[in-house]
Amino acid sequence: MKKRSGIATALALVAVVAVVAALAGGRAAPASAAGVPCDGLPVGFMAPITGFVAFIGGEQLHWAQYSLDKFNKENGTSFTLSQFDTQDLNPALAQLGATKLSADKKVFGVVGPAGSQEVRASGPVFRKSGMAFLSGSATNADLTGGKYPTFFRVVGSDNQQATGDALFMIKKLKAKKVFIVDDQEAYSTGIADKAGNVLRSAGVTVQRESVSQKATDFSSLVSKISSDTDVVFLPWQVAASAQLFYQQMVEQGKKMPIFGSDGLDSGDFTAPGHYVSTFARDIHGLPGTAAVIKEYEDRYGTKWGSFGPPVYVSMQALLTAMKVSCKDKKSSRAEVIGNLRKVNLPNTILGLPVQFDGKGQNKFAKFYIYKITGDKKALVG
Amino acid sequence: MDWEFFVQQIVNGVTLGSVYALVALGYSLVYGILKLLNFAHGDVYMIGAFIGYGVLILFGGSVDPVIPIPLLILLMFLTAMIGCAVLGATIERFAYRPLRNAPRIAPLISALGVSFFLQNSALLLFSPNFRSYDTFSLYDGRLFLPLTAGPLHISPIRILVISSALGLMVALTLFVGRTQLGRAMRATAYDREAAAMMGINVDRVIVIAFLIGSALAGAAGVMIGLVFQRVFHTMGFVAGLKGFAAAVVGGIGSIPGAMVGGLVIGLAESFSIAYVSSTYSDLIVFGILITVMLVRPTGLLGKADIKKV
Repeated sequence: MKKRSGIATALALVAVVAVVAALAGGRAAPASAAGVPCDGLPVGFMAPITGFVAFIGGEQLHWAQYSLDKFNKENGTSFTLSQFDTQDLNPALAQLGATKLSADKKVFGVVGPAGSQEVRASGPVFRKSGMAFLSGSATNADLTGGKYPTFFRVVGSDNQQATGDALFMIKKLKAKKVFIVDDQEAYSTGIADKAGNVLRSAGVTVQRESVSQKATDFSSLVSKISSDTDVVFLPWQVAASAQLFYQQMVEQGKKMPIFGSDGLDSGDFTAPGHYVSTFARDIHGLPGTAAVIKEYEDRYGTKWGSFGPPVYVSMQALLTAMKVSCKDKKSSRAEVIGNLRKVNLPNTILGLPVQFDGKGQNKFAKFYIYKITGDKKALVG
Repeated sequence: MDWEFFVQQIVNGVTLGSVYALVALGYSLVYGILKLLNFAHGDVYMIGAFIGYGVLILFGGSVDPVIPIPLLILLMFLTAMIGCAVLGATIERFAYRPLRNAPRIAPLISALGVSFFLQNSALLLFSPNFRSYDTFSLYDGRLFLPLTAGPLHISPIRILVISSALGLMVALTLFVGRTQLGRAMRATAYDREAAAMMGINVDRVIVIAFLIGSALAGAAGVMIGLVFQRVFHTMGFVAGLKGFAAAVVGGIGSIPGAMVGGLVIGLAESFSIAYVSSTYSDLIVFGILITVMLVRPTGLLGKADIKKV
């Protein structure tokens, strides 16, 4: 009898907790409330601030905060940042972040998440809550195929990147045989598939391999690279892994160049003489960027790459739309989305304009190819 | 048959296998005496890797160390081994000893709890970001330039790791086989109660088993850091799993079994990536574990536990 009453008590407690949680959740349920006052509105932000790719998230956070503060100063607005850490480009956390931000009825737009797999996970949540979200680095081609109607991006798609990378390997590197390794994530397999198709259609032999993003030893995979391979293509998200792959290539006397996608464009991949493509060119030296760079570096230091500036511009685009929506001192998520579709930024620090097509893709986005030379990179394509 | 490719897989497999063998030895030493699966062992290995990293940074990092590199590497090993030995003994004293006479599930759950505690402590202390030994910068990358002899290409760093692991395994074998304390450990593993009746301080023997097993795990952590360079708070999970698989394949409780099991698992992983696919390497490795369990449940070198009824 004592045992039964103990079980019953435990079940009753669980039921009470569940009911309380549901009520609490219901009170904070997502609401695309019309006419919410604009003062101090939080802007959502999602990025992998900690974890394997913290170099991406940390940089994006700084540029997002800087962009928001600058916009507030220049426009007399008082938007704030409401950040969520998605750690390791984790789709489960991205979904959780989307749910949390959607539940806050004061959030009308989100910058982030960073990774394509995170956009897939958070897209349905944002679609349901009618929340606009802009990514400065999620490049998978099908993200702007119509499945995520509230998604926008200022950078190009992986189809552009994969095609451009493959054509560079064919025309400039004269590749006849390419060894492609994907890291089993959506971003990587998408680029690997597309680049492989372009290479094969040009008569290039493609050897395709796959490895987990969490792998720490590539020795056996490296030994599969035959001596007649001209290029090793690594469309990976974790640059530190590619650096280890390069070092293990050196260990086994493999001297062919590595060509990495934009995930490798970071201080963690410094293999000299190798190549990376990137969705944003180095903004140093572009018109109008000197003052921005100086202000940013005075605040956050000089260690940043190509992941920050697109987020700066994404935040600019979102805040521009929110400012227009707030002209009557009130705003809504639907209004912000409508205004985002009309945003026109003719001059941005990326060196190209921003204007979104009907599916949220920036019409003017493109990819760039760099060759790593010591501490620097040289634009080669 | 591409002999160069084949021999390269042996080098890769033996490197990995040496590390797994050291981790497996820790499992076998403790299981042999206490019949306890120390699930925190993989995380002791992770702590060892972080201790090695800490020593490396303390002495200037790999780009510009302030002491000679051989001395630096030796200090990394010694500090990690001593640090992990102390950690192992502490875990035994506070997480396992009070539960020695409890039902066997209790210390198992305690071990899992210790594992989570260590992992999350590392997460809080060191953040989830990778730390890199950046061994490539030592001697301007020369530790990674291969030495060649016919079809064999092997880098100095791998020679260092394999020879260190071998040296530790030989030292352990000699210690267990030829010293009085080793004899006491074997007696306690055979029959704990009888050993106590013969005057062996069983508590002391158990502590020493944890000291040695954890020290070996610490050494393994530094080896992995030197060869693969990355350390992070969850690295103990997979290594612990594979070390455990190695111990079971070799025969849990058997020291030579742990060494053989480690090599089998390391070579299986390397050859499956090379000749099948890296996607299926874990499937193949754990498939081997299941096959060995079905065909020879005591493991390759394990002995059946005969009980008088």
